Amino acid sequence: MIRYIVKKEIKEIFRDGRFKISALIVFVLAVVAFFVTFKQYKNTAAQYNEAKANERKVWESQGAKNPHSAAHYGNYVFKPKSPLSLIDQGVDKYTGISVFLEAHNRNEAAFSDAADQTALSRFGALTPDFILLYIIPLIIILIGYNIFSKEIEGSTFFILKSQGVVGWKLFIGKWLAALIPTLVIATVLFVVAAVALTSLNDFGLFEWKEILALYFVYVLYYLIFTNVVLFISSKVKKSGIALVINLVFWVLACFVAPKVASNLADAKYPYPSHQEFNEQIANESKQGLDGHNPWNEESQKLREQTLKEYKVDSVHKLPFNFNAFLMQKSEEYQAQVYAKHYGLLKEKAKKQGGVYKSLSTISPFLPTRFLSMAIANTDYESHWAFTEAAEEYRVGVQRFLNGTTEKNAKYNERYVAPADTWSKLEEFNYESPTFSEVYRQNTSVFSVLIIWFVFTAALLFFTNKKY
Amino acid sequence: MFRYNFKYELKSLLRSRWLLLLSLLLLIVVLFAGYNGKEKVKERTQELKNVVLESNTNDAAMALVLDSIESGLQVSVNPRRMPNAPMNVAYNYPRVAAIPVAPLTFISTGQSDLFTHFIKPSAYGDSFSLDYSELANPIQLLFGSFDLSFVIIYILPLIIIAFSYNILSEEKEYGSLKLLASQPISIYQWIVQKTALRFFWLTLITLAVITITLLFFGFDFKTNFSAFLQLISLVCAYILFWFTIVLLVNLVVNNSAKNAVSLLAIWVFVILIIPAVVGQLANSFYPIPSRTKMITEVRELKEELSSKQDKILDNFLRDHPEYASKDGNSNYSFWHKYIASQELVEEELKPLISSYEDQLTKQQNWVRLWQYSSPAILMQQSFNNLAHTSTTHYQSYRNQVALFSKEWRNFFKPMLYGNKNFTTNDYKKLPSFTYEPPINSSVLLKVVVLLIFSVIFIFIGKQVFVKKIKKGTIIS
Repeated sequence: MIRYIVKKEIKEIFRDGRFKISALIVFVLAVVAFFVTFKQYKNTAAQYNEAKANERKVWESQGAKNPHSAAHYGNYVFKPKSPLSLIDQGVDKYTGISVFLEAHNRNEAAFSDAADQTALSRFGALTPDFILLYIIPLIIILIGYNIFSKEIEGSTFFILKSQGVVGWKLFIGKWLAALIPTLVIATVLFVVAAVALTSLNDFGLFEWKEILALYFVYVLYYLIFTNVVLFISSKVKKSGIALVINLVFWVLACFVAPKVASNLADAKYPYPSHQEFNEQIANESKQGLDGHNPWNEESQKLREQTLKEYKVDSVHKLPFNFNAFLMQKSEEYQAQVYAKHYGLLKEKAKKQGGVYKSLSTISPFLPTRFLSMAIANTDYESHWAFTEAAEEYRVGVQRFLNGTTEKNAKYNERYVAPADTWSKLEEFNYESPTFSEVYRQNTSVFSVLIIWFVFTAALLFFTNKKY
Repeated sequence: MFRYNFKYELKSLLRSRWLLLLSLLLLIVVLFAGYNGKEKVKERTQELKNVVLESNTNDAAMALVLDSIESGLQVSVNPRRMPNAPMNVAYNYPRVAAIPVAPLTFISTGQSDLFTHFIKPSAYGDSFSLDYSELANPIQLLFGSFDLSFVIIYILPLIIIAFSYNILSEEKEYGSLKLLASQPISIYQWIVQKTALRFFWLTLITLAVITITLLFFGFDFKTNFSAFLQLISLVCAYILFWFTIVLLVNLVVNNSAKNAVSLLAIWVFVILIIPAVVGQLANSFYPIPSRTKMITEVRELKEELSSKQDKILDNFLRDHPEYASKDGNSNYSFWHKYIASQELVEEELKPLISSYEDQLTKQQNWVRLWQYSSPAILMQQSFNNLAHTSTTHYQSYRNQVALFSKEWRNFFKPMLYGNKNFTTNDYKKLPSFTYEPPINSSVLLKVVVLLIFSVIFIFIGKQVFVKKIKKGTIIS
C-alpha cells in the first residue's frame, strides 16, 4: 500500500509545474555555485602552493645575517584550504589566510576575503552551502506544504479512505514521497562534489568518511525539515495558510535565529576591540623581561640569577651568549603573555559557542550549520587550530634563532650567522584536525540534531496516528 | 464608495486583530533590532572616547615636559620618549584618526563589524598596510546582525506577503467575489482600493514604529531631519513595491496557495538569489589580486631597499637639497634613513597597492550599476550609506588615513633633516585628522526607481485584469 501512495505522490509532485521549475532553478544554481566555488578553490590552492614555496625560498636566501634580524624579518605561514570547503566555505571568508611570524609579536591572521569585497557579499554568496542550507529546505516546503491539505481541498481524502488505506500507512507513504525528491537532489549534489574532489590532483587530506558524514548531517537536516513541514501541513487545513506558516518557520530557523544568536552571544560575552586587546597585552609585556633592554628591572634579576646559577661573577664568563639568552627568556615571557590573553579570548569564543549551541534547540539550522562547517574544517575551531599551530611554530623559530646566537657568539658580540643557517629551520607543516577530533568536539551539537529529529518525528507520528 | 470600502476594510482588519497583532509584532522586532544597533554604537563611541581621552592625557604630559625643557628645567623622561626630538613625537604621540558614528549608524551594521573605527598612524610603518581589521568572532560576521535594515529588507516584505497574499483569491474562494461584482464598483477599482488601504495602514504602522524606535534611542530629529526623511521615503517606497507585487500576483495567479508560492519565489529571488548572483559576478569579473602575492612582493622590495639604505639616503638628499645638512655634519640616524627609504617604498608599491583598491572600486561600481536589479540591493546600499557603514565609507576612510599618515610624516621631515628641536610652538601646529564622509548618491533616485517599478506592476496588473475580465476568469 505504501508503495502505491509513494508512487502516486511522486507522480503528482513531478507533474506539478512549480516543482519542475524550482527543481530546474535549483539545479542551475547548484551547477553555477559548484563551478564558481571549484574555480575559486583551485585558484586559492594554487596561490597557496606558490606562496608557500616562495616564502621558504625567500627565507632561505637571506644570506649571512644576524639571527635576531632574521627574526624581525620574520616569516609568513599560510592557511591551506580544506578540501571540503568546496561544499561548505564556513567562516573562511571572514578569517585571514596568512599569519606573519616575527620576534616579540603574535600577529593576527591577516587579509580576509570579506574585507576585500563589497557589502553585497554579506547578503550571502552563491555557494553550495547556501543551496544546501537555505534553498533545499524551501524545496521541501514547496513539496510538502499541501501534501495533506490538498486531499481535503480537492475532496480526495474520502476517496483515499475508501481504498482501505490505514492512517499510518498513508502517513508513511506521504512522508517518503516528500523526502524522495529532496534526497535525490542532495545525493546528486554530493556525488558531483565527491567526483570533483577526487578529480583534483592536490586535494589534500580528503577522506570519504568526511564527505559521508557531511551527507549524513544534511540528510538529517532535511528529515527534520520534512517532519516539520508535514506536521504543519497535517494540522492546517488550508494550503495557503500552511505555506505561510511553513515559510515563517523557515525564516525564523534559517535567518532570524542565527542573527539573534549572534547578537545575544555578543551582548553576553563581548569581544574586546583590536586596540583594547593589543593594549592589554602591551601593558602586561612591559612589566616583564625586555630582550632589547638589558637595564630593565626584570633583566637585571635574570642576570643575577644566571650568574648565581653558573657560579661566575660576570656575564662574559658564561658558557653561552647572555644577550641571546636574555632575548630568548623575554621571548618566552612574551609568548606566555600572548598565550594567556589568547586563552582568555578563546574562552570567550567558547562561551559564545555555548550561546549558539543552546539556541540550537530553537532552530535546526544552527546545529546543521555548525556541524557542516566543523566537518568541512572551515569553522572557527579549525581557524583557532591553525593560528595556534602558527604560534607554536613562531615560538620554535625564536628558540632556534636565539639558540643559534647563544651557542655561536660571545657576550656583546654582533653575531652574523652564515647563509646556510636558515635552511636548517624546520618547515611549517600544518595538519588540520582529523575527523575523529572533529567528531569528539561536536558530539553535543550532533546530539542536538538527533534530538531535533527524534522530537519532530515523534510529534509527527503521535499527532497523526489516526489520520 | 471609497468611504464604504475604507470603513469595511478597517472594520475587518480590526476585527481580525490584524492591525493590533501586526503593530505589536513590528514594534517588538524593530525595537529589538534598534537595541542591537544602539548597543554596538554605544560600545564604539565609548571606546573612541577612551582613546581620545588617553591621547589627550599623553599630549598634555608631553606639553608639560616641553614647557619644562624650554624653560631650562631638568626633566626625567626616557630618552626614547623625549619630546624635544621631533621623531620621538612622531613615533610616540600619534593622533587618533577616527571614523565617527553617524546619527543613523545603528540602523545598519553594514561593514562596520569588519573594520576598526580608529587608528593611530605613527611615523613608523607603511601607510598602505595599516591593519584595519577588527577583532571579531567570524561566526558573528557570518550570521550577521539582527539590525533594522534586516527587519525592513527581509522581514517587512514577508509580513506584507503573509497578510495579503490572498486579498483577491480569498474573496473568490469564499464566493464573496460574486457578491462584490454585483455592486456598483469595478472589481479592479475595489482591489486597488483594498490594496491601497492595506498599504496605507502598514506604512502608517511601520513609520510609527520606526519613529518610536528612533525617539527611544535618542535620535535627534531636528538636526538630522533630512536623514530621517530619506529613511522613511525609502521605507515607504519599498513597502509600496511589495504591495504592488502582491496586487499583481493576486490578479495574475488568483489562487491562494499558488499566490503564496509565487510570492515566496519572488521574495527568494529579489532578496536572496539576485544579490548573491550580482555579488558573485562582481567577484568573478573584478577579482581582488592575490594577497599572498602582495606579501611576497612587499617583502622582497623592502629587503632589497634595506641593503641600499645609505645610497637611498644619498639620492634622497640630492633630490631634496633643502634637507641636506648645511654644516657638513653627516651623522645620520636611523630615522633619516628610514624616512628616505620609506618614501621610496611607498612610491614603488603604489601601483601594486592601488590595484587592490581599484578592483574594489570596480566591484562597487558594478554593484552600483546592478543595484536596480533588486530592490533589496538598492535598500541595503542606501541604508549603509545613511548609516555611514558602506564599503565606500570605509574605503574613503582608509584613503584619508593614508593621506593623513603622509601629512604626519611630512610635518616632521623638515625638523628631522634640519636637526631642529620640537617645540611648544610646533606642538600647537600638529596636524589633526578629520574624517570627511564621501558624497552619497541620491536617495531620491532610488526612491524614484522603486516607484517606477511599482507603477509598472500596477500597469501590468491592469492589463491582466482587462484581459481576464474579457475572458471572464476573474470571478470564477
